[in-house]
Amino acid sequence: MQDPAEGRSLSVVRTTVDQREGASLVSLNHPLTARLMGAWSEMQNTLRTMKYVFMTLAAILIATPAFAQAGAPAENQWVPLAAGLGMALAAGLCGIGQGKATASSAEALARNPGARPGIFLFLILGLAFIESLALFTFLIIIIKVK
Amino acid sequence: MEPQLLLTRLLNHYFATPVDSLLRALHVTPAYAKAPITNAVSMELLVFAALLVYFMIVRLTLSVETPNGVQHLAEITNNFVKDQSEQIIGHGYEQFTGYLAALGLFILVSNLLGLIPGLESPTANVTVPLGFALVTFVYYHYHGFKSNGLQYYKQFVGPVWWMSWLLLPVELISHCARILSLTVRLYANMFAGDLLTLVFFSLVPVGIPLIFLGLHLGVAVIQAYVFMLLAAIYLSLAVAHEH
Repeated sequence: MQDPAEGRSLSVVRTTVDQREGASLVSLNHPLTARLMGAWSEMQNTLRTMKYVFMTLAAILIATPAFAQAGAPAENQWVPLAAGLGMALAAGLCGIGQGKATASSAEALARNPGARPGIFLFLILGLAFIESLALFTFLIIIIKVK
Repeated sequence: MEPQLLLTRLLNHYFATPVDSLLRALHVTPAYAKAPITNAVSMELLVFAALLVYFMIVRLTLSVETPNGVQHLAEITNNFVKDQSEQIIGHGYEQFTGYLAALGLFILVSNLLGLIPGLESPTANVTVPLGFALVTFVYYHYHGFKSNGLQYYKQFVGPVWWMSWLLLPVELISHCARILSLTVRLYANMFAGDLLTLVFFSLVPVGIPLIFLGLHLGVAVIQAYVFMLLAAIYLSLAVAHEH
């Protein structure tokens, strides 16, 4: 994220706190003291950084039970999520593919309306082939998810 | 045991014993001895009977001077399949029209059967599309051998001999994958269509599922067309001569 900024801003925060309490641990000759006027915005930066850190930590902590349960023979609670996400991915990407195929066939038809039968044939074939990929996903989900 | 449709129950009532003994002769143990005929088989028999009656009516009322409606329908179907196969296969397409028309009509009627209450699509059961795919596989390889003779093997080894060790497994796998993709495409489309209607019926029991039934109607027609088209394309690849 902002690795060099992080260390600097942390030390600045400490500097401000220490100065308020009147017992400075940081030398006033330190180059960062010249930038104390901008300390407030840097502290906001720090808070933003900490937010990312805590979000990452939360994600890791949530993910841990999933790894722990993977080996357990009990009912796996992530299966519906995985099935839904897998089907959504397949359907969405299949939609992109079919959209591109339809768009270019419509364009070809607009350019050359005389070639309608050939374009129609290849459009239907292409759509069938693209669709079968999403159907493979659907079938795997149906078979694997009880 | 899955719930039986009326026709399945009727067939099982009368033919359970002979079908059981037939299956035992083939060393197959039916899952339920009381009901060896599944819904898919009975629905296939229904489609078979319907198409047989349709073709018999067409044949018996054939007339050059005063063609009736059924004949018009048959001619439209025939012309459509002929146009498609001529476009794809080209020279010598006439011999495949019969197979392609029968395949397309059988799949079309099977798919549309699921829209009638009290009946279900046999193609929503994985064994039925697998049967279509296997028959198509055997059929196009047979015609490949028939039209190219022993030179047919050249389609599997690629253009140059020193690449054949690489291309032979690739070609064999791709030919077997055709069975898989034909089966899964038809089966999953029909199954998903039924499931979609059912899911929306459980959410909103009035009105909304009708939209998805309409969608399913379109999918049924398209998938029958696609299956026929792919069979024609595989045939055209198999019978193509090396020039």
